[in-house]
Amino acid sequence: MRVSCSWLKNYVSLDGITPEELAESLTLRSQEVEGVFPLAQGENLVIGEVLSVSPHEKADKLVVCEVDVKKKRLTIICGAPNVRQGQKVAVALPGATLAHGLRIEKTEIRGVVSEGMIASLTELGIDYKYHHEDGIHVLHHTAPAGEDAMAYLFFNDTVLDLDITPNRADLLSMIGVAHDVAAIFNRDVKIPKPKIVTAKMENPLTIETETKACKSYYGRVLDDVTIGESPRWMRSRLIAAGIRPINNVVDITNYVMLETGQPLHAFDYDKVGEERVLVREAKKGETFTTLDDEERKLEEGDILITNGKEPIALGGVMGGAETEVTEETTSILLESAAFDPRRIRRTSGRLGLKSESSLRFERGIDPAMTRYALDRAAALLAVYASTSIRDGIKYFDNHENKRSPIELSLEKLNRVLGSDFDTAHVQDVLQRLSFPFEEKDGIFVVDPPSRRQDINTYQDLIEEIGRLSDYNILPATLPTTVSRGGLTDYQRFKRRTRHILADLGFDETMTYALREKERVYDLAKDKEKEPVSLSKPLSRAHQTLVLTPLHGLFDVAAHNRARKTEAIHIYEIGKCYEEEGETEMLGILMCGSYRTHRWQKHAPTSFFTLKGIIESLADALRFSPLIFTSTTIGNYHPHQCAIIKAQGEEIGHIGKVHPEYADAHDLKDVHLAEIDLEKAYELGRERSAYTPVPKHPGMQRDIALLVDESINAEAIKRTARECAGEMLAAIHVFDLYEGDKLPKGKKSLAFRLRFEDAEKTLQADTTDKLVQEIVKALEEEHGAIQR
Amino acid sequence: MDVKKRIDELEEELEKELEKVKTQAELLNVKSRYLGKKAEISSFMKHMRDLPKEKRPAFGQAVNEGKERFASLIEKRQAFLKRRSIEKKLAKERVDVTLDAPDFRVGSRHIINQIVEEVEDLFIGMGYTIEEGPEIETDEMNFEKLNLPKDHPARDMQDSLYITEETLLRTHTSPVQVRTMLEYGGKKPVKMICPGKAYRRDDDDATHSHQFYQIEGLVVDESTTMADLKGTLLVLAKAMFGPERKIRLRPSYFPFTEPSAEVDVSCANCAGEGCNICKNTGYIEILGAGMVNDYVLAASGYDPEKYQGFAFGVGIERIAMLRYGIEDIRNFYTNDLRFLRQFKA
Ligand SMILES: [Zn+2]
Repeated sequence: MRVSCSWLKNYVSLDGITPEELAESLTLRSQEVEGVFPLAQGENLVIGEVLSVSPHEKADKLVVCEVDVKKKRLTIICGAPNVRQGQKVAVALPGATLAHGLRIEKTEIRGVVSEGMIASLTELGIDYKYHHEDGIHVLHHTAPAGEDAMAYLFFNDTVLDLDITPNRADLLSMIGVAHDVAAIFNRDVKIPKPKIVTAKMENPLTIETETKACKSYYGRVLDDVTIGESPRWMRSRLIAAGIRPINNVVDITNYVMLETGQPLHAFDYDKVGEERVLVREAKKGETFTTLDDEERKLEEGDILITNGKEPIALGGVMGGAETEVTEETTSILLESAAFDPRRIRRTSGRLGLKSESSLRFERGIDPAMTRYALDRAAALLAVYASTSIRDGIKYFDNHENKRSPIELSLEKLNRVLGSDFDTAHVQDVLQRLSFPFEEKDGIFVVDPPSRRQDINTYQDLIEEIGRLSDYNILPATLPTTVSRGGLTDYQRFKRRTRHILADLGFDETMTYALREKERVYDLAKDKEKEPVSLSKPLSRAHQTLVLTPLHGLFDVAAHNRARKTEAIHIYEIGKCYEEEGETEMLGILMCGSYRTHRWQKHAPTSFFTLKGIIESLADALRFSPLIFTSTTIGNYHPHQCAIIKAQGEEIGHIGKVHPEYADAHDLKDVHLAEIDLEKAYELGRERSAYTPVPKHPGMQRDIALLVDESINAEAIKRTARECAGEMLAAIHVFDLYEGDKLPKGKKSLAFRLRFEDAEKTLQADTTDKLVQEIVKALEEEHGAIQR
Repeated sequence: MDVKKRIDELEEELEKELEKVKTQAELLNVKSRYLGKKAEISSFMKHMRDLPKEKRPAFGQAVNEGKERFASLIEKRQAFLKRRSIEKKLAKERVDVTLDAPDFRVGSRHIINQIVEEVEDLFIGMGYTIEEGPEIETDEMNFEKLNLPKDHPARDMQDSLYITEETLLRTHTSPVQVRTMLEYGGKKPVKMICPGKAYRRDDDDATHSHQFYQIEGLVVDESTTMADLKGTLLVLAKAMFGPERKIRLRPSYFPFTEPSAEVDVSCANCAGEGCNICKNTGYIEILGAGMVNDYVLAASGYDPEKYQGFAFGVGIERIAMLRYGIEDIRNFYTNDLRFLRQFKA
């Protein structure tokens, strides 16, 4: 809502208050003022009369004008095609500054000295959308030459741009804003009283409704309409409010709407054709041509204004093309009505017909204003469109005007706000608001006025008193609730995960959950999962929720690789979004060398680098040991991919991305791993009691085995552990050899075994005996031959 | 023969010879010649019995002292040779200390998560729990229980991403407040914050993101006041933007709170004087807050006659943008490593 300060003064005194102070006070106690700006810009402008127009001898497109500004005659060069002798115009004198910093000086243009400029409205800072004038602005022929042109045009005004929240429908009217200003500054509100002088001819209308969605409908008939321009003051106020002036009838309906918040509509009464208004529900499939000449398809629930036979308006949304007021109109039917806000919202939303009127109907209007607005507009039309008003107002009004009084105790008020207000303070605020109330023993019983349909509960009253007192006077305290806060064990587990990976040199990403539908299975392990898609996607790129954080991580790697980042090691805790629910997943991506020794030789990042990272994480977070079992997954390397299990349960997967898939995204050697964090947490070990450190040093033995290529290290380790029991503290592969020197189909694996005994010092012969047993078991079970 | 004189002469000779010794072998050779069985000094003892008895002790002492002096000289030379050989070896191990070290860089946690953790820790310190909930929500939890029925005009304020007629991506983390209250069954005070992702139908540009990160807070008890809200938000503002910051509450409207307020923090750039960052107001809007609407309390199982509370919600991207002067919200989701790595926790 754009509020003209000079207009606002009609209803409430702004003496001693600058527009900036007004904006500040409204922001702190009512609604945010988003901007304060002058309606127009221009100083040193006078009204002039064009005495003569002659061609400029050296410039085709320019003319030389003699302009009388009363004290002086000026020679002004003008480029506008519409300048004519005898016109009254706004003349910017040398020294004037207009919109966009345009400065006017005495200048010579091709041999002729120009002593000023004839201004257009755009040059005065009035946007083209408000006037549609291409050339200079021509004033009325009665404009007094020599006088201040800005004052004549009522352009000396400041506009406040208020951001009105949806609950404050009352502030979509000048009178409503005036009430809030009056409450803030403790001033009175003056509301103009329309003077209705009616003709002898009676208002012949019968007005009825078949639907409860039309709450009230008031109609008047006016004759002898003279369509023309509305007065200058009204036009400038409409522009200040953001509405383009059209003609006196349209302007007056808009003006009264802005003043009262009650939208009005004027029909060409002759074209209505009947002396009847019947409001009814539209039928499904019915069509109606609105005044923008669009044929609209109607639905049940739309409200139609009809003449008893044909529809004449789409109630609360737009009038009909058939009954539109034109230059030829002589009689009008003036409508002031109220509709069910939800219906208007639905219809205007569906048809894309949001307007100043529909906005007000949607938010809810003041039922007490419906009749007032009709009379106010009729009275203005009588003056500014020379109409005569037929005798009588015809209407129905089914508003239930009974609103229950609201009870609020001073104790509750202070208990909610944490304030220390006394009875006198609350009385003062309620009086400023002009809310009728009674008070007894600290209990206030308030009758909310009709203009404030938003005030219905004690909380509404607390808000009114709080805001007008200014929330900033409240003390700053902390809740007295004593409670135990903190992270849950699982939340701590997640945090630890993120911190450990960061400490290991991984950067954390945060990617969009909504991605391309066709790529949703690309890096997901399970193709059976049902992804979730938006019913109306934002775009193709943001359509379906991901099944794995690896989706985003992979794209982040591609983005960064394209920007020449060499080592990309990243992770993200994201979600797998399924129809069944959401699961928190950890995704890790490695691409490029890890912990690089820049000038010494280093091993490239491999499957095992990432495997080591996962194992370290599992160890630190107590969900180790992990078992890795080869598998194949869609876009992964068919021979470098594994399922990860903890305690026999699958918790994730790891693998190298298939070189072809990586290549298609300009990447290579990308390794991915995904862990179901919720599962990993559940499978995690409890913190256990400590085991005493063995008193004696252990023994170490190395064995090299010749085995079939197909035998994996894990199988050998398992056999060794089963055979040696607790004495075998650790077993690791320290060498792998596959080559020509070995028999075909064989490989050599070397293991380092560490033996420990908690009780006594291990003897060399005991250890050797144990190793022999292990070798024997490996021979029996895997056909392994010690080398 | 004057033995003492002769020993002194031999010592001088030994010193000269030792100076020429370069290797361990040479040193052993010299040692055997001056201290071995055939060494001249060893032969002196034979002469002792030719001396009168009273002179024998002095003679013996002189010879022994001579031997000790010789041994000490040889030892010194040996130590010198050893030190020199180590020095030579170490000289070969010289490194250029300006060469690059291996990369052991600690990774950066995402700036949004860093701030989330900071806020979480701040509130944990004040006794709050951290609550989480699903991102795919029902219309009921996301809107209806929050006093936003289907035809409510405020639904325009948050155009949503629907999955079915009744499910959508949550437009705020407020449904977590509802879920927590329902879980508590209306029986005990609530003191929680809920961080999480939320979604709106926005085209991504410098200031809009269809996915964003929010933290909301909720306290419900018998005497939770708006002054408590103000105090809590002041603590938050100072923690986020510095101890000098002030806050300002402006009336606003949210269907789930009443009274509702928009909260501004005094501009850190100009200390409230007015600059282009705060659009010359001296204040920057950071969050929305208010006292929980009775409708919401009742819909979540809390008796409004007995309980009252406050709630607030803040966008993490906004905090990060203000704190670090980040100009484009898309930076948070593009994940350019050159961006992410700048933020050290
Ligand atoms: Zn500033």
